Amino acid sequence: MNSKLLSGLSLALALGACASMPQPNPVLEDARAAVQTAQADPNVNKYAPLDLDRAQKDLSVAEDAAVHHRDAEVAQPAYLATQNARLAQAHAAAKADEARIAAGQAERDQIVLSARTREADNAKASAENAKAVAAVAINQRDQANSQRDQATEETARVQAELDALKATPTPRGLVLTLGDVMFDTGRSELKSGAGRKMDQLAQFLVEHPDRRVQIDGFTDSVGTDSYNEELSQRRADAVKTALISRGVQPSRIGTEGYGKAYPVASNNDSGGRQLNRRVEVVIGGNNGSAIAPRAGL
Amino acid sequence: MPLSKLSRGVAHLARGASLCAAIFIGVAGCATTPIPNEKIAVAKASVQRAEQAGAPEYAPVEMASAREKLARAEKAAADHEAQPATQWAEQSNADAQLAEATAQEKRSRKAAMEQDANLQALRFLAQRSTQPNQ
Repeated sequence: MNSKLLSGLSLALALGACASMPQPNPVLEDARAAVQTAQADPNVNKYAPLDLDRAQKDLSVAEDAAVHHRDAEVAQPAYLATQNARLAQAHAAAKADEARIAAGQAERDQIVLSARTREADNAKASAENAKAVAAVAINQRDQANSQRDQATEETARVQAELDALKATPTPRGLVLTLGDVMFDTGRSELKSGAGRKMDQLAQFLVEHPDRRVQIDGFTDSVGTDSYNEELSQRRADAVKTALISRGVQPSRIGTEGYGKAYPVASNNDSGGRQLNRRVEVVIGGNNGSAIAPRAGL
Repeated sequence: MPLSKLSRGVAHLARGASLCAAIFIGVAGCATTPIPNEKIAVAKASVQRAEQAGAPEYAPVEMASAREKLARAEKAAADHEAQPATQWAEQSNADAQLAEATAQEKRSRKAAMEQDANLQALRFLAQRSTQPNQ
């Protein structure tokens, strides 16, 4: 290689613009890559086509300069192509996110709207529920009041009636004692004065058909046991007959003659013996339950 | 590269030295083009817009580059170097626009992600509230 050739080569390298070989330009390489990346970005095509167009034009200016060996004119458009390609991508990404935000806002509005609708529906439903519940509660209260009133009324009435009969509560039931004055001595026919008492008792039993009645006869200790038991039984039966004749069903009435058993007073004096000569009418509970036979007391 | 071709090229260069000189004179002729005051003004406006868009925070590299190139363009203009002033102004403008767009992109991304999180919470709440009450 001679010195003339060397100096000529140096000159060729120094005057790049005049060299026949295009030099690889890193700025141009960057621009090509940047534009290619932007072209491949679907958001760019959708949201920033004008930016991409500008980058592509810058790139083609740079390519044109490179092809025509105007190397000094390559770098500037290549740099602008790179920046504009990146700009396209940034704009596209921003717009894609803005679209996402808009969609999200729409969804949020929808959620809020349906929540409010549901809230309103719930409020309406619970108002209706509350109304229905209140109506039921009022109805129940009225019913209870009415039942209580009826029960109170009933209790008061029964009590008044039983008071009129001078009944005494005992474990067997309410006991109404018909005294000796209702019968003549040794007789089992009710005296006429007993009629009113029988009317009251019969009326009570007719009005309360669910109650049973047990009629027990008793005597004092004068006379034989068999006589006394028979007499007490006949007196009990007389009361039963009186009640039946006043409309009380016979099946509801039980009778028993206990004779001198179960005295309520001393048989040593006439006053005591008078108390022992008696008929007890036991009125059962309003559940129709049978009345236990007399035992002890 | 074949030596014969290179020799021919060198010979060609020697003959075309006057042509090359003419090209350089032509390039130098660009110095007579007017100072790109308009391009500098455009770059300046872009830099200001980028600054207002939060680019110093979100795109500090592009922002700094845009500012520096604007300063160079202004200096070149002051020095009556029209060609460099034009190039710096164009690059400053491109950098500033990219800085602004990058800031916008990052702000939108941040907002979108915040919204995604909020929306996720909202969806969860909405779904839960549609369950029948216990």
